[in-house]
Formats: sequence, C-alpha cells, structure tokens
Amino acid sequence: MDWPTFIQSISNAVILGSIYAIVAVGLALAFGVMQMANFAHGEFFMAGAYVVYVLYALGGMPFPAAVISAFPIVAALGMVTERFVFRPTRGNVLAGFMATAGVAFILQVIVGQVWGVGLMRSVPTPYMGAASILGAQMSWQRLIILPSTLVMVGGLWFFLHNMKLGKALRACAQDVEAASLQGININKITALSMAISGGFAGVAGALMAPINAVTPYMGHSIIVTAFIVVIVGGMASIEGSILAAFILGFIHTFVTTLFDAVLATMAGVAFMAIILVVKPTGLLGRVRM
Amino acid sequence: MAILEVKNLSKNFGGLMANRDLNLEVEEGEIRGVIGPNGAGKTTFFNVISGVYKPSGGTIKFDGTFITNLSPDKIAELGAVRTFQRVALFPNFTVLENVNIGRHLHARETLFGAVFGMSKHMEIENLEKSRKIVDFLGMTEHQDELASNLPYGLQRALNVAIALATEPRLLMLDEPVAGMNPTEKAEMTRIIRLIRDEMGMTVMLVEHDMRTVMNLCDKITVIDFGEKLAEGLPQEIRENKDVIEAYLGAEDIVA
Amino acid sequence: MPEVIGEYYVEIMILFMINLILASSFRLITTCGDWSLSHVVFMGVGAYATALLAKFLGWPFWGTVLLGGMASAVVGLAVVFPLLRTKGFGFFIGSFALGEFVRLIWVKFHFPFGGPRGMIGIPSIELSDIDFYEATPYYYLVLLFTIGCLAVLYRIDLSRTGRVLKAIYADEDLSKCIGINVARYRAMAFSVSAFFAGIAGVLLAHRLGAIDPKNFDVNTMVYLVIWVVVGGVGSFWGPLIGVAVMMLVGEAARPLAEWRPLLFGGILIAFLTLLPGGLDSLMSKVRELLDRRTADGTKEN
Repeated sequence: MDWPTFIQSISNAVILGSIYAIVAVGLALAFGVMQMANFAHGEFFMAGAYVVYVLYALGGMPFPAAVISAFPIVAALGMVTERFVFRPTRGNVLAGFMATAGVAFILQVIVGQVWGVGLMRSVPTPYMGAASILGAQMSWQRLIILPSTLVMVGGLWFFLHNMKLGKALRACAQDVEAASLQGININKITALSMAISGGFAGVAGALMAPINAVTPYMGHSIIVTAFIVVIVGGMASIEGSILAAFILGFIHTFVTTLFDAVLATMAGVAFMAIILVVKPTGLLGRVRM
Repeated sequence: MAILEVKNLSKNFGGLMANRDLNLEVEEGEIRGVIGPNGAGKTTFFNVISGVYKPSGGTIKFDGTFITNLSPDKIAELGAVRTFQRVALFPNFTVLENVNIGRHLHARETLFGAVFGMSKHMEIENLEKSRKIVDFLGMTEHQDELASNLPYGLQRALNVAIALATEPRLLMLDEPVAGMNPTEKAEMTRIIRLIRDEMGMTVMLVEHDMRTVMNLCDKITVIDFGEKLAEGLPQEIRENKDVIEAYLGAEDIVA
Repeated sequence: MPEVIGEYYVEIMILFMINLILASSFRLITTCGDWSLSHVVFMGVGAYATALLAKFLGWPFWGTVLLGGMASAVVGLAVVFPLLRTKGFGFFIGSFALGEFVRLIWVKFHFPFGGPRGMIGIPSIELSDIDFYEATPYYYLVLLFTIGCLAVLYRIDLSRTGRVLKAIYADEDLSKCIGINVARYRAMAFSVSAFFAGIAGVLLAHRLGAIDPKNFDVNTMVYLVIWVVVGGVGSFWGPLIGVAVMMLVGEAARPLAEWRPLLFGGILIAFLTLLPGGLDSLMSKVRELLDRRTADGTKEN
C-alpha cells in the first residue's frame, strides 16, 4: 500500500469509526441500563437519514437544522419502542430483541410506502468540496462527522457524570434494585435511555444521508456492524463501544481497501465470534454474554 | 480406604477466601457431617468437590482418582453425586420421570436408538429401578404427579431420589432437612441411614440442624471462615470449646 | 389431492411442507434452551450442496440429499462448537455472527457459489422415469420427506434423548450433577437440527431451480422466528401450527401487498408481548381449563 492510499485509509477509518461510535454508544447505553437489545437500531439510523431527506432535500430546511431535528424525532421512536416493546418484555432479553425485529419490519414498510422504495441518492451534498490533510482528500461532508461525534459523545459523558438524571441512569445500569430503592423511577430511566439511544442512531443516519444511499433498507448494513461493535466493546460499556468502534472502523476500511467490502464484513463478523468465545465480556465490559 | 481425600483445598473469589487449605478424609461407608456457622464456606466446599466451581488450589481424590478439575458430569459419572440446597428438579416432569432422568448414567441411548426405539429393554429396567427408588422415599402415591405441584418437603425428598437414581458411591447432601417439619426430618434421617446401611453408600452432608447431625453422623467436620476448625466424633464436637465459641449466640448448638 | 386443488396451491403446499421441516428442526434446539439466528443458513448449506453436486458433478438425488444433510450437520457442528461457551442472548447473537460468516462465503466467491447472483439451472430430480419438474410428483416427494423427517424428529422428542434436552433447559446445573454432558447434548441437538434444515434446503433448491444468498439471510430467519413464536415451542406441534397459521395469514393478506411485512411485524410484537408462549400455550391453558371443569363435574356428582 502506498503512502497516499495509506493516509486516505487512515482518515476514512477515523470517519467510519466515528459513525460507528455514535451508533454503537446508543446501543450500548440501552443495553447497559436494562438489557434492551434493539434489533431496529439500524432502522432508527435509517429514520434519521429520512428526516434529513424530508426536511432538507424535500423541505429546504438548512442541513444542520435537519440533522439536529433528527434527534428528537428518532428519540420519540425510541420511547415508543421502549413503552410498547421493551417494557412488556422486561427481564427477557431475547423476547425484546426478537420483538424489535417486528419494529424493524414496521419502520421499513412505512418509510418504503410513504417515500418510495428503491435506490435514492437524492440528498444533495450541502458542503461541497474537500480539504486536503497530510495528502488525503477528505470531503467536508465527511469531515463534519468528527466534531459531531465529539459533541455528542462528549455531551453524553457530561450528562452521565454531571447531571442528576444522568447519574440516575448510571445508577440504574449498575444496580436496578438499589436504584429503585433510592427512589429512582425506573420506567422514566428506561424511556430516557431509549430516547437517547434512538436520538444517537438518528443523528448518525442524518449525518450519513448525503453520503450513503438513502433507502428503507439502509439499516441492514449498519445493524450488523453496530452489534459487532457493541459485543466486541463489551455489551454494556460505552467506553468499550467507542474503542471497538474505532478498531472495527480501521479493520473494515483497511480490509476493504486491500480486498473488498464483503471480506471486510466477514472479518468483522469473525472478530465478533472470536471475542464472544475468547472473552465473552468484550474488551471493556463486565456483562457476561 | 478413604473414598474422598481432600488436600489443601482452597477457593478464592477475587480476594474473598471462601475455602482455605482444607484437609479432609472420608472413609467408605461413613456418614460425615460438615457443619459451621452461616457463611463458613460449606456450600462452596460442596461446589468445589462436585465440580461446579474450580478450586484455586489443592487436590481432591475420589476413590483413588484425582477429580480436582473435572466437570460436574464427569465427577458424577465416577460416582460422586451431590444434591442442592435449593429445590432442584425438573418441574414439567412427573416424580417418576424425574427419577428416571436421574438414571441417565445407566441408560446409554444413541440417536439411532432414540429414533428406532432400540433400548426398550434397558428402559423397562430403568423405569423399574426408578419405581423402587420412589417407593424407598415413600413417594409412591405421588409418582405420577408433576414435580412442580409437590409440597416443599416432598420436593426435597425428590432431590435425594434423583441423586440416588445415579447409583452413586458417595452421596453429598446439601442441607437435606432444611425447612422440614420434625416428622419430615425424622423420616429423612431414617432414609439417610438406610442409604448407608442397606445401599452401602458413603454419605456426606452439610447441615445446620444440630440434632439431625448429632444423631446421624459417625464423624463431624467443623468449618469456620473457610478453614477447618475441628473434626471428630459427635460427642467430641459437642464439647469442643472452639466450636461452641464459633456458634456463640446461635441456639442450635444446644441440641 | 394435488390434482384437485390446482397448481398454484400445490406449489404453496410444497413450500408449506418444506417450512414444516424447517420449523420442526428449529424447535429441537429450543427444547434445550438455545435459540439460534443461524438456522436458515443451514437450509442454505443443503441447498448449495445439492446445487453444486447435481449441477457440476451430475450426482443423483439420493446422493445429494444425503450429502446435503450431512454437510449441514457438519457445518452446524463447526458453528455450535465455539458457541457452547455462551447461552441465551449471547448464543443468539453469536449464532447470527457465525451463520452470517458462512452466508458471506457464498456472497464473496463467484466460483463455485455464484456470488451475490447465486446459482441457476439446478437440475430437476430424476428418479426412475418420473420427471420431478412438474409440481404434482414433486408434491408427493416432499410429502414423503416431510412425513419422514417429522416422524424422526417426533421420535427424538419422545425419547430419553428428548427428555435429557428438556432437562437441560429446566435445570442445567442439576443435569450436569447427575452426569449429563450438557455441551455434548447441545452440540448434538444443534447438529441434528442443522441436518434437517439441510434436507429442507435440498428440497427447496430443486423446486426453485435457482438459489442465491438472499434466500437464506436474516430476513428469512425472522420469518422463521415469527412462525415459531406464533405457534409456540412448548409442544412438538406448536411450530407446525405456527407455520400453518402464518402461511394462511400470509395468503389471506396478499391484497395488502407491500404492507404485509408490517402486519407480520405487528403480529410478532403482539405475540411476544402478550402471548409469548404462542398458540401452543393457549392450547394448554384451554386443556387445563377443561380438565378442571371435568374434575369439578365429577366432584359434584
């Protein structure tokens, strides 16, 4: 691999890792708080992309506003899912997970019927042009992902460690019974977790809307990767997800550059299987799968 | 011949020494009691011997074979079977079916045999043996009842029945009379004695009920804070100052 | 029977029976408590095996169906082996990962699997002058296989082996301590169930004439999960009822066209949140109620 390709790959990997991080952190948070494993997390990502499609591409709203709007809209989807799918199946991780497969179907159909199925790259790029960093060409569209990730993950960290509600969330993740005895309303916490989880997935999808093809099925590719990242990182660990996100971003990018995308996915999947077998708690996690 | 030889057994749970340097020898045909205050490490001891936990140090020899790091099913196959402190049974099966499942080690069925019903003869034998065990424990009239519908005392008895079905050489009972009323306790005591006297099995039991322990056991080992505190005949243990002190405040030593 | 109902429905019946084998073999794994997200991949292994053997090597049907099943069983063993250290959700996700890895092999390699486009021109079965290209003879062939496979699975369920699997699910620690090698039984159940999924795959491949990796992806797997959840896994018949009910629903809902998956998604959610034991559990509740009524009746008399 020559130097320019190498640098290009590194920058692509960092960007990819950032998106993975936003998506995976949402998934890890929900699982950490109440073992909510969301099969439809990819569809939340897709919903965020469609928010941008509808508001920005169709509606003319400025791109940043559209992206920010994705958060509350998809957060609402998360809360509905928590109330009607996760709460009734609380205690049964598998049942909740399988039921959210139903949520995925529902979202795919609704989006597909309202806005049409089929390949759509109809989200025009708001930021044309590219920057040249150390010899690598990075489109501005991709570059804005970096500060966005920092803001979101940083914001979440601040929330979890410095704000009352955030600390309550962490308490719940550590020990539900103790948290409940302290007077924390568990249902509020689970609803909040799924709201944040959905919001994060939505924003990630929104950021990727001008980059990826926007279709009702775009969630398929991201969900596999999201779970790989979260398993490798440690199912309930946010730090683990971030670490794993970048590791997998690098693996995926370099394998794709050297070989092809299919092999990259295979590598990711194989890595997940290895971790599950060799270190079931994941790199930084404490929950044994 | 010592059927069970435990040497320097230790079990460490990330800093907590549940068992520390335990040494123990049980002779074949003995009824051995293992007692100690709550949290002394008795059940951990059982869990390590039966393979549910891996020891952190030391060795365990059963009937001349080292079983130190074997899996529970291998240890059961060699003839050392334990019961659980909790109610452990197969809730959706009848009493008889529960005991019959316990015949697993004496019922080799291949997949081919399963499909074509080859082991009919062995199955009839096993069902007969299971019936005998159900009778032995006085549960004949319940044999077709679902295990989950049984009252607590009978469920504990079923635990023992399932273990007996494996035809063990060493039977390890974890609090066999816990939660039982005096009649049930007397009955279980009688049964345990018969298990040794008529079936020739060695029995080791963990118990809190002092009367049962003193009546039943040939020899008693006392564990406290994960270490062996004392060992000897029931009379000696009853008068042992260290043992009395360890139990200070607990009424059950005054049997 | 096929002569009466018309060709469209014969094709549906063929598919229905193949799905029965698929669902019943899936249930075998669940009896010892494992839920797998890789089951349809094993159907794919059988399908690809027969496609390769028949198309490139000209093997006869009896050879390919046997080898298709065996291939699935072997791949099944390879997949379950690393998974034995996991259970529950970890097993589920892990089985998905490994199954997807196998499936991606078909996607990646144009030779010999045909890559994403898959394989076409799978020869139809030829047995003693009967041309199994037609629906009616194929129907009878599949009927034979379905009865055979279900009978074997039923016998396993009733046997001591079947009881051991259920014991493992009920109390794994107790099972271990009475000498049951839990890992070996879990592996055996997984491998045997993969075998039957492979047989289903062989039957599917020769009916469709063409297969591609999308036939065996997570989407298809979710449908299998829906059938099994709706039917319930408590009894042997549960999954079969689930397949029947959901295929009927699917046919009845045809006018819904592209909205159909929404209905299926809703049904899945409804069952998992309201009746997780499936229609099976409903039946046993009804049976219980009837038993109690008769008991009261006799008491009163």
